[in-house]
Parts: sequence; C-alpha cells; structure tokens
Amino acid sequence: MDNQLLTGKLTRLVAGDPDKFGELNAKWSHDSEFFMLFDSDPVMVRDAKRSGQFFRERAEKERPGAFPFLVQTLEDERLIGEGGLWNALSSNRDAWVSIGIGERELWGKGYGSDALNVMLRFAFRELNLHRVNLVTFEYNRRAIRAYEKLGFVHEGKIRGGMRRSHQRWAIVFMGILRDEWESANR
Amino acid sequence: MDNQLFNGTLVRLAIENPETDAASLARWERDTEFERVLSHKPVFPSGQKKWRERLEEAPDERQFWFSVFALAEDKLIGFVGIFMVRQQHGDCMVGIGMGEPEFRGKGYGTDALRLALRFAFRELNMHRVALMVLATNARAIRSYEKCGFVREGVTRGADYRDRIRRDVISMGILRSEWERANSR
Repeated sequence: MDNQLLTGKLTRLVAGDPDKFGELNAKWSHDSEFFMLFDSDPVMVRDAKRSGQFFRERAEKERPGAFPFLVQTLEDERLIGEGGLWNALSSNRDAWVSIGIGERELWGKGYGSDALNVMLRFAFRELNLHRVNLVTFEYNRRAIRAYEKLGFVHEGKIRGGMRRSHQRWAIVFMGILRDEWESANR
Repeated sequence: MDNQLFNGTLVRLAIENPETDAASLARWERDTEFERVLSHKPVFPSGQKKWRERLEEAPDERQFWFSVFALAEDKLIGFVGIFMVRQQHGDCMVGIGMGEPEFRGKGYGTDALRLALRFAFRELNMHRVALMVLATNARAIRSYEKCGFVREGVTRGADYRDRIRRDVISMGILRSEWERANSR
C-alpha cells in the first residue's frame, strides 16, 4: 500500500483552483518555448484573469473523470508545473494524461518524469485503469525520451499533422498498459 | 454481440419526448404507494417542469436513465436506470419503477430490469449491480430474484413511514452470475 499515493521522489501532486491554474499558466505562457512544447494551439501570451476564466469554464464543461493536478517540488514546495488525467472514468478503462513543467530552469532534471509516474500510479492503482494515452509532437524530443523511459510505447502518429515555424511535424501518440507499468514498478 | 441492446420481449428502453415523459412522471409521483416503495425520500412532488428539466440534462457517465415502453401497446409505462456508476470499482446501482398500475405484476418490469442489467454488464462493463428494496415489497423482490439478484444484507428498520418501520434489503448480482444465466 502506498500511504503517500500522490507523492513521488522529487514532486507531489497537489490541488489547485481554476484561478491558481490561470495564474500559473498565464506566467508560463510568456515562455513561448514552453507553450510550444506543451500545447498545439498557436503560441500566445495570456493574462491571469482570462486564463483563470478559461480554467473555470473547463472545470464546468469537463466530463466526470477529470483529475487536474499542480506539480509541487518536495524540496521547497514550489509550484512548478501542471498535469492531469482526463476522461478517466469511462467504460473503456483508459485515460489521457498531460504534464508540463513551466519553470524552465527545472527542465531535464526529472521533475516531469517523476510527476508523470505518480500520475500513472494513481491511474493504475487507484482508478484501476487498463491503459493511459498521451499525445505529443515530433519536435518535443526530450518529452518523448522521458515517456519512453517511463515505459510508454509509440502507438501511432499523424504525419505532418502539426505546423510550426514553417515546418511540418508529426503528432505522436503513445500509450502504456497497466501490466507494462506494473512490471516496471514492482 | 447484441445489436438491439434496448429491445426486450415485452418492453423497449428509450428516451423519446421529454415533454410527454415528464407528464407521465408527474402523474406517477401522485401515487403515494408507488412513491413510498421507490425511494427513501419524503413523498413530495417535483412537478412536470422539474421532471422535464431533469430529462433534458446532458447525460454523463455516472447515470443512465431510460423510459420503459410496452412494445405491444407502444405506451410509456415506467422507467429504469443505472446510477452511481463507479467505473474504478466496476460497481453501480439499478433503480426501476413501473408507474402504470395495470402493467405491474405482469413481467414488464422484470423484462426492463433484464435490459438494464445487460446494458450495465455488456456496455458499461460493470462487475456488480446493486439495489435496495423494502423488505415488504414481495413482488419486487421476486422479480429481482428472477433476474438473478441475491440478498446481501438487511438494514433493520431503516424505513419509517406512516407509523410503520420496515427493513431495507440490499441485493446484488455479479457479472459472472449474470453471464452464467445469460450465456448463449
């Protein structure tokens, strides 16, 4: 039994109200590289108020089975990113997962992988899901490498489905099954 | 594969016209005996407008309510629903009410309940379906047993109305039990 289900080695998953999500996302949206790695929408700066409104509307529209999290460091309890499991209570027993570390000086240090693995533990041990899916972009090599390390498998792509800075990139679909995650995390 | 998940031998499950469905529900809720076996809530009318609003609410994955139509008469006679769906546990509840008195005790409800169970096990992939019933509601209990429900427990004297205390029985059916009885 995990008594600290939402705590990993570097991070823990914490709750955030829509305004907190809005405030942090507005801040991170000013880093266009973060935005481009995180989202398929055109890169755009957002202000905290409008961003908060976006998250409030999302919370209202969201189908049951949405589990949004903020990522907090264990070391200094800083809020450094956000993620979530989406549509996680359907009869298919699967979910979509998202993760983004907004604080760029913490990129490439394992915070995102740690938080994502905690979300997978939550998905497989608490929600009893059969599989977890994610979507990313061909140019996000660091993310793809992190997903591979956690056990995600390349399952398909939409070739040239994404256009950024006059270049076409594949949209990449990856997935992990419970058995695969369990055998890697005994 | 069942291609006609919502058609039984006596009834079909549908959502047709919120206006006329709400009119029936508003009529049935004036039947005190019906209301008292249906729920533990105080008998208190919602009214046609409220029912209509409920029927028009966007569906979500936690509850699935159907109107029950008699096939031969093409008449709305009751409702059945799967609710409190907890996918992570594979567990849910079923509720049923035959609002039209002349269609009670003739197998219509049992047929509707069988359709709801097939929906819960084959479409929602539930592991277990549970229900609560008044211990004095012998007709309902017989119908549930016919569908394969077993008694799982009693909450003693949990229902108190009109100066009479009644036990409430919880019943349940597992997918394996249902599949064994319905394999083909």
